[in-house]
Amino acid sequence: MLSPLLAIGEKAITLAEKMGASQAEAYLAQSRSFEITAENNSIKNACETRDAGIGIRTIVGKKIGFAYVTTLNDSDIEEAVTNSMSLARASIADPDFVTLPNSESSHHSARGIFDKELDELTSEETTGLLIRAIDACKGSLDKWSHAIEAAVQSSSGVNAIVNSLGIVKSERKTCISIYTYPIIKDGKDQTASYEYQVSRRLNEINPEWVGTNAAELARGFLRPKTIDGGEMSVLFAPLGASAILGRGLADAVNADEVQMGRSYITDALGEGIASEKLEIVDDGLLPGGIGTRSFDAEGFPSQRTSVIKAGVLRSLLHNSYTANKENVDNTGNASRPSYSGLPDISTTNFIVSPGKGDLNELISELDEGVVCRNTGDSPNLTTGDLSAMIGEGYYVKNGEIQHALKNTLIGINMRDLLRRISHVGSDSRTTFSMVTPSIVIEGATITSG
Amino acid sequence: MEDLARIAIESALKTGARFSDVRIENSATTIIELNDGVSKQSLSSRIKGAGMRAFVDGAWAFAQTTDLTGDGMRSMGRSVAKMALATREKTTERFAIDGPSFQDRLHYSARKPFSSISIDEKMAFAKMIDDQTRDYDRRISSTRTVYTDLWTELYVANSLGTSIYTENAIPRIISAPTAKDGINRQSTFKSLSLRGGYEVMSASEAQNIGTAAGELVIDLLSSVCAKGGVYDVVMDPILNGVMVHEAFGHAVEADNWPAHATVLEDRIGTEVGPDNLSITDDPTLEGMRGSYEYDWEGTRATRRHLVTNGILTELLHGLETATRLDLEPNGAARSQSFMHEPLPRMSNTYMETGDWQVDELIQDTKNGIILCSPNYGYTQSAKGQFMFQASYGYVIENGEKGQMVRDVSLAGNILEVLAKVDAVCKDFLLDAGTCSKGGQAVPTMAGGPHARIRKVPVGGM
Repeated sequence: MLSPLLAIGEKAITLAEKMGASQAEAYLAQSRSFEITAENNSIKNACETRDAGIGIRTIVGKKIGFAYVTTLNDSDIEEAVTNSMSLARASIADPDFVTLPNSESSHHSARGIFDKELDELTSEETTGLLIRAIDACKGSLDKWSHAIEAAVQSSSGVNAIVNSLGIVKSERKTCISIYTYPIIKDGKDQTASYEYQVSRRLNEINPEWVGTNAAELARGFLRPKTIDGGEMSVLFAPLGASAILGRGLADAVNADEVQMGRSYITDALGEGIASEKLEIVDDGLLPGGIGTRSFDAEGFPSQRTSVIKAGVLRSLLHNSYTANKENVDNTGNASRPSYSGLPDISTTNFIVSPGKGDLNELISELDEGVVCRNTGDSPNLTTGDLSAMIGEGYYVKNGEIQHALKNTLIGINMRDLLRRISHVGSDSRTTFSMVTPSIVIEGATITSG
Repeated sequence: MEDLARIAIESALKTGARFSDVRIENSATTIIELNDGVSKQSLSSRIKGAGMRAFVDGAWAFAQTTDLTGDGMRSMGRSVAKMALATREKTTERFAIDGPSFQDRLHYSARKPFSSISIDEKMAFAKMIDDQTRDYDRRISSTRTVYTDLWTELYVANSLGTSIYTENAIPRIISAPTAKDGINRQSTFKSLSLRGGYEVMSASEAQNIGTAAGELVIDLLSSVCAKGGVYDVVMDPILNGVMVHEAFGHAVEADNWPAHATVLEDRIGTEVGPDNLSITDDPTLEGMRGSYEYDWEGTRATRRHLVTNGILTELLHGLETATRLDLEPNGAARSQSFMHEPLPRMSNTYMETGDWQVDELIQDTKNGIILCSPNYGYTQSAKGQFMFQASYGYVIENGEKGQMVRDVSLAGNILEVLAKVDAVCKDFLLDAGTCSKGGQAVPTMAGGPHARIRKVPVGGM
């Protein structure tokens, strides 16, 4: 079925060409989403969002303009095209710009990204999922004073790309995510933890698992302590690994950052930059993946790209601009925040190939070290220096967890972190940015106090 | 706009809502980004639509529309009220929404409105800064310059009788260079943003921001990584602002109280720091990036004394938290746009000045570290943990400022850190920031004087 968005896009392109654009592109998106939130163990808020808008990129010679509007009305679109054109005319020409993508490349169809059941989910049914997660969480916390925060968000939408070189594409996607965040008190001690799931299919969501797991994790973070710092092993559980690699490595293999000399990875294609144990692919066609799509944010076909194999850097991630600039193949990694921005570059499904051993097995093999379940930090992209607070973690001695940690920081340069990966686990999970198991780094500077 | 809002609210009340409010927004932004002297991004946007909430006995619902017609508003009012009624069935906590109402219409007249300045002139300004940065030193290997301006027209009405129209204007200039010397490469950024029209860009700090960023990135070439450990830390005004924002400001957002999500829950009216310490959040300051007259619920904004002489004295309230905690609302409810619900947020947050001289403080510290200018920071109020990272700093040896260090992280505990502040200086500075919460970004400022924290863990390589 052709989306009605395509006709609106084509009209905008025609208008831009009439105004003198040498090339033009319209990116349109329309979505409906529900979000139900709970506070202090109780449902509190229901939110329905209907979002629709259009972003128009116009090119005059080698000068580029962009404008967007949060409606799909004719007069607003006309204003956006006019603004985009005047911005293009006022821009400073970019000699490295060659062309927008054309429609000649072959097409691959993404599978498992639209779920009819999820598309038809009502706000009441969405609320039901959240109540199940909260009840499961409560059930594991009856001995503690607790306040559970939780939310579920489901969305169904369509995006469309039309450009003056013949690209006319649209695709429907669904997505659901659910989390619980229990805050628990034990005397004067207060802590919190969380668990979540994100999927494109309703039947992959297990609210009871999300609730129970969050409760068990929170209990384990009571009575945190500081430790004597020093050089020791760090075990990044999947969410921690996802934070470090999903930002700290993914941004560094972004061809735009590399070309601008802002990445700690330079001139390293074909060279060993990581432990031989590390293999990473970026797979835009992973069936049902969170980053899966048939085409990227410029309409270029998705593909599977080997990024690191046996520790060797095999490819950077490109969009049409960076690929044309270096005269290499586009990897289809153009991404944009819906209709409200120009394409830059990001991963699709950034996947670490699993090795051996789950989190508990990896802990049992540690003489001394820390477990980092998550962190909010990312490295300095240019130097690679990473100084990360352990958001949730434990101290491990002789293969056993001793206690939870507080006020503890990990210091290491990303180049060393990548080379010092001594184990890659088998406990892969899907996060918002990656699919990754646990990884062990054999030495980093730990500061605590 | 008044008529459209009234239609929506009446429709929600008739369907069964006990309280309802509407935000109608019409905003325009321009973003001009240059990389190495060429245009990377030339963007303009129009954000136009209405968002509304309906409330029944403890249950909220929110919806938005871009159909700004009588029919569109009526239908939104009905559907949002129905959603609130359905949510009420699942809700176990019951409460009401009440508070004062406000009526006002304020036009913001900038000396040079953004719309009166051509794109060519804004482009030329960005180009001048980009060239200035590159010309500072031949070791500067790449430049990035971003100019943005945001013009907002906002109308807020609610079923208590509030009817507020306000306007706002915020420009920003950022210079973010990378420098290279052999294999040594460093990046940094400097930014300036205030409330005002295009005239803000005429100030000498804005006109020379490329040179300032260039100077800093060249200095960073001779910096080293800090050695991790427990230090006495002297914060510069900008970093102090980030400490106050992350380690304290978020934890006093009053929505944490009904949610039991802050370690400060039982601490109102009690001592949270030494008696020389006061922290203020003030949206009424003239011409600051985080300033506004009325919040996104239409409540008049007032100055909030969060900590007064070491005692936790005030929280950041929206209508809901003020009603539930039986306190006066102080106008802290903010939204990123009409598409988002208002949440209690900070505005311009700072530590009040003390009586130390900066030189005197450094001398007195003997061995420690000075931390300057943040890369970023974040916090978990429920666990009491926060962290922030300084983009650079200096080692203090024998009471003297020494070697430059970079990317220094500091982790700490909300309940412990303020008590460790033992010296506050006389100087004062606020810096531009953007605060994120619940997926919404709002413009803020943060700052204060130089101040010292005793014995905190600082991360190193």
